[in-house]
Amino acid sequence: MTAVQKRVLVNKIALTLSTLSALIALGFLFWILGVLVMKGVGALNWNIFLFEGAPPGNPESGLKHALVGQAILISMATAIGVPLGILAGTYLSEYGKNSKLAHTIRDISDIMMSAPSIVIGAFVYAIVVMPMGHFSAWAGAIALGIIMIPVILRTTDDMLQLVPGELREAAFALGAPKYKVIMDVVYRGAKAGILTGVLLGIARVGGETAPLLFTSFNDNFFTTDLNEAMPSLTVTIFNYATSPYEDWQQLGWAAAFILSMFILGLNILGRVILFAGKKRK
Amino acid sequence: MASIIDIKEECALHVRNFEFTYKGAAAASLKKVTMPIAKHSITALIGPSGCGKTTLLRSFNRMHDLYPGNSYAGEIEFEGRNILGAKEDLIHLRTKIGMIFQKPTAFPMSIFDNVAYGMRLQGIKNKTELNDRVEKALKDAAIWKEVSDRLKHDANGLSGGQQQRLCIARAIAVEPEVLLFDEPTSALDPISTQGIEKLVIELKERVSIIIVTHNMQQAARVSDYTGFMYLGELIELGQTEELFVTPKEKLTQEYITGKFG
Ligand SMILES: Nc1ncnc2c1ncn2[C@@H]1O[C@H](COP(=O)(O)OP(=O)(O)O)[C@@H](O)[C@H]1O
Ligand SMILES: [Mg+2]
Repeated sequence: MTAVQKRVLVNKIALTLSTLSALIALGFLFWILGVLVMKGVGALNWNIFLFEGAPPGNPESGLKHALVGQAILISMATAIGVPLGILAGTYLSEYGKNSKLAHTIRDISDIMMSAPSIVIGAFVYAIVVMPMGHFSAWAGAIALGIIMIPVILRTTDDMLQLVPGELREAAFALGAPKYKVIMDVVYRGAKAGILTGVLLGIARVGGETAPLLFTSFNDNFFTTDLNEAMPSLTVTIFNYATSPYEDWQQLGWAAAFILSMFILGLNILGRVILFAGKKRK
Repeated sequence: MASIIDIKEECALHVRNFEFTYKGAAAASLKKVTMPIAKHSITALIGPSGCGKTTLLRSFNRMHDLYPGNSYAGEIEFEGRNILGAKEDLIHLRTKIGMIFQKPTAFPMSIFDNVAYGMRLQGIKNKTELNDRVEKALKDAAIWKEVSDRLKHDANGLSGGQQQRLCIARAIAVEPEVLLFDEPTSALDPISTQGIEKLVIELKERVSIIIVTHNMQQAARVSDYTGFMYLGELIELGQTEELFVTPKEKLTQEYITGKFG
């Protein structure tokens, strides 16, 4: 066998192996999605949206409590995480730049991004739940908000840095003060990217369970009281899926399906927006 | 050793013994530059790449102040004061001395909003006034006909040459005294270049213009005065025709005849 033939052979083997690995990974993904869709769609019905949790065996049971709770928790987390993340990202890109402080913040943020979310839940348990003396939607939202910050901070930082320096200079050259340059030109130029970051940030926390277990905890009934424990889709999935009751398990499948579609949708939307923004330039 | 023409007409700007050093640089990028800029005329800056043309140009609107750590000395006189002073109001200065960049810098907003941007910064909110002045600026920048029916469209949809004229419209809309051009046609095709050159010549009725160009023909075509720079020094400033036909300095002679570049 010549050297060239050998290289061609090695190349073929490497290509086959990597293609195979990709197919296996995709196979698992579609397996999971397939089971989820089959079981989830089968479990869907209008009752899910009309009724709150009920004892097993009650036909008038649904997921209204968890859906609304999830929406409240995610909205509150977004209200906390998005402004902080965007402002911090703005500081890094527009003010801190390559300073030591900026680099330190970037490093810490990266560590936070990969920190186990249960640690953040424990942290919020210590600083919010313990002093309050009970679980609350506030605590859950704060935990999710904190998890959201590094995702949004990072994308904002990256996206703002993609805005060409000449554009900033052109605004300064017209006599714009710095905050106007940032608001009018830099944010506008990075609009699509920041929006994508926000969507990905929401998607990131949408599937969190661990940090909610000891912050907002759970509730089988409908509530909008932010000072009390609040149900969420994720913790509800956990409870229902691990229960021995057939109807609860069905609700668990439905919740898992709805949540997955929500997160998948956000991810796809985020990418579409980013792609459309790039194409326009 | 430098040969600087004594300008008899009124001057828009007067640079005296100006020195500039970038942050952390070992040597000064501009050395003892003294240069008068005639009012309502076009002054071109030529010279090999890296000789300091852009650095000098960006000193007139204190663009360098956006990046901390640079140091400068000397004087640039504008409207009777030294604009290098620490108390200079840079926002006001930049409304008086506008700048057009090498690459078109249309903002990510509509054509109308681009042109209105500087005026809105100055607090002009009146719709009729904005409409009138945007239209006038676009007409003066010779782009009105092309965009009058799509003022609300995104400015990034325009061609490079159109965007550059839009940037000129945006700059003249605030009625500056001086316009600085840094190689405004280097990213454009020959036809767009011609359009911009024609426009620059028309504008000198109202503003004083300084234009940096790496293209000697362009300097010869558009400018009244030309300054030749080399290694951070202004070697020669003269009337354009004289400088190109009978340069006083040997270095100028060598540069314009293509002995180096
Ligand atoms: N931001 C900067 N930091 C440090 N040195 C710079 C910077 N910009 C330009 N210089 C240096 O200053 C000199 C003049 O540059 P410049 O004014 O851009 O020249 P020109 O416009 O004539 O090509 C060059 O030696 C260049 O390397
Ligand atoms: Mg230059």
